[in-house]
Amino acid sequence: MSFEGLPKGSGDKKRSFLESIYLWEVLRGLGVTAGHLVRNILHTDDMPTMQYPEEKRVYGGRFRGRHRLMKREDGSPKCVACQMCSTYCPADCITIVGGEHPDPKIEKYPVSFEIDLLRCVYCGLCEEACPCDAIRLDTGIYEIAADSREKFVVDKDFLLTNDTDGTF
Amino acid sequence: MAKLTIDGKEIEVPDGTSLFDACRDARGEDLPHFCYHPDLSVAGVCRLCQVEVEGMPKLTIACNTGVRDGMVVHTRNERVTRASKQILEMHLINHPVDCPICDQAGECGLQNQYMAHGLYDTKVEKVDKVHKSKAQVIGPHVILDQERCVLCSRCVRFCAEVTGTGEMGIFNRGDRARIGTAPGVELDNDYSLNTVDICPVGALTSRDFRFQKRVWMLKAADSVCPGCATGCNVRIDHEAGRIYRLKPRYNPEVNGRWMCDKGRMTYKAVHDENRLGDPLVGGKVETWDGVAGTLAKLVGEGGFGLVVGSPYQSLEEIHLLKSLGKDAPLSGGLADSGQGTGDDLLQDADQTPNRKGLELLGVAQHDGPALADLIRNAAGSVLILGGDPAADPTVAAALTEKDSVIYVGTHGDKTAGLAKVVLPGCMWAEKAGIFVNRNGRLQEFKQAVARHGNAREDWRILSELMTVRNNPDVPGSLKGVRDELAGSVAADVDLNKLPARGFLPGGEAR
Repeated sequence: MSFEGLPKGSGDKKRSFLESIYLWEVLRGLGVTAGHLVRNILHTDDMPTMQYPEEKRVYGGRFRGRHRLMKREDGSPKCVACQMCSTYCPADCITIVGGEHPDPKIEKYPVSFEIDLLRCVYCGLCEEACPCDAIRLDTGIYEIAADSREKFVVDKDFLLTNDTDGTF
Repeated sequence: MAKLTIDGKEIEVPDGTSLFDACRDARGEDLPHFCYHPDLSVAGVCRLCQVEVEGMPKLTIACNTGVRDGMVVHTRNERVTRASKQILEMHLINHPVDCPICDQAGECGLQNQYMAHGLYDTKVEKVDKVHKSKAQVIGPHVILDQERCVLCSRCVRFCAEVTGTGEMGIFNRGDRARIGTAPGVELDNDYSLNTVDICPVGALTSRDFRFQKRVWMLKAADSVCPGCATGCNVRIDHEAGRIYRLKPRYNPEVNGRWMCDKGRMTYKAVHDENRLGDPLVGGKVETWDGVAGTLAKLVGEGGFGLVVGSPYQSLEEIHLLKSLGKDAPLSGGLADSGQGTGDDLLQDADQTPNRKGLELLGVAQHDGPALADLIRNAAGSVLILGGDPAADPTVAAALTEKDSVIYVGTHGDKTAGLAKVVLPGCMWAEKAGIFVNRNGRLQEFKQAVARHGNAREDWRILSELMTVRNNPDVPGSLKGVRDELAGSVAADVDLNKLPARGFLPGGEAR
């Protein structure tokens, strides 16, 4: 292996007297820190840090957050369990079981509809694949937390009432 | 022979061939079609297979035209493609296009034809379509959606020509024409699910498979139906360790393109709740390691006093059983097991898949009392491989007296309840093997799904028992068993590479 062309290490530099006693450099560093402190106290609006969770970032309208299932007028899911979304899903996170609906006009409905939020990559291909506009990622919710893996697998009822806030 | 030119390609076909078949040979693919089916009469109702024959003023349908020497045919020119596109558009006028909820989606003739020949923008609004009955139960196995039907009449012809039961018909005329059964008549014959197979759209769907799985998610494995001695060639459609349906696989020597409804349901036994998933010793669940000691005591010391096979096992397993029981009496199980009613189409009265295999290997079967005597007189342990012989009360009585019975079975049946040691074997869909059908045809079935629980392939169990017996001919693989077996059944075939249509020892009887 050749070390040619690499920058010379700082050890090769000749130190001046002030640098070699360290104390001066320490004070100089503290001066930089104190300068930032004073500037931030005087101009809090210019600080890049966000006061999350009190303050939340505003995302664009096309931001893909947690999923929700759309409803018909009577409150039942629009989904007809065609499984286009689970076929298309690159993360394989959607599991649907279809069943016979009592109304022959609807015919098929999802007996269960589960999304594993830990597997989901929020690509939005499911909403593109859906022929019935039954699944959307437009809730804007990006805070997804739970205290066990099982809770991240959300079911049909959760997804149907998933348009409120971010609590699990 | 007739020599004709199709799309500029010269082709020679026997006289009497239909132009449809000649076009397929020349083009390498089918003409667009719905109503044509090679095993049914020509109806000529879908009008999709129109071709241009030089000298004829109008386009003509290929399925109902015979070949003539010197014919010049065009199947891909603009006039023909425009005609088939327009006909397809006509078929789709009243089609509900409810593909998302239709089980046929993914293997649908209408979808395929549209992608291949249609690709037009619809001129009919969905609200203007003629609505008909949906999700109508017309029989024990079949559900009808009249809206999706394109009136190809394949199901009508199937019921009239193949089963001869004639339940289906087309009623009314024009855009009110609909397929259905006559009032008070159900589509209830033993072959009704074939109408679902031949339906090119989703008008007829299987009640058993309805909404279970989208078809594009299924994986297929070639197999043989274990339902009766006919041995229809089937395709096992499965996904994630579960079998969803059986479909007939074309074999002109055995079942053609059909199979019976009873055969299609044979897969249910694979996922039965009563399946054995672990070895049992005296009714208690054991591990395979734990059962080894008991086996060594039962088999290693006294050896086998009797070895009983069954016509449900594959040819390889029966062969292993023979070499296992070299020094012991051998029985092929109950001679009257699995008797039902047959018909003159496909179903055989003998509802075991491999009784001919027992005969081929010279293993005799016994009736109940004779088998009971054999069990009583057995000096040593009794090995039973499948078949549940205790279903016969006299055999059950004899088995109760014995306390050294080893049963290799798949379900918690009567014999499993009486045996000292029960070893869980595999169902046909979980292993590979060869069945010999009623005509003596050797047909291979392949593994489709993973083994249930801790079950093991039967040949593996048998070879482990051979190890316990210090038998020197222990096979290391199924291939090894087949190589060994080949000499005793048919010297001129490699059992590891059986032809797709099976192999009939002594040549094809033609």
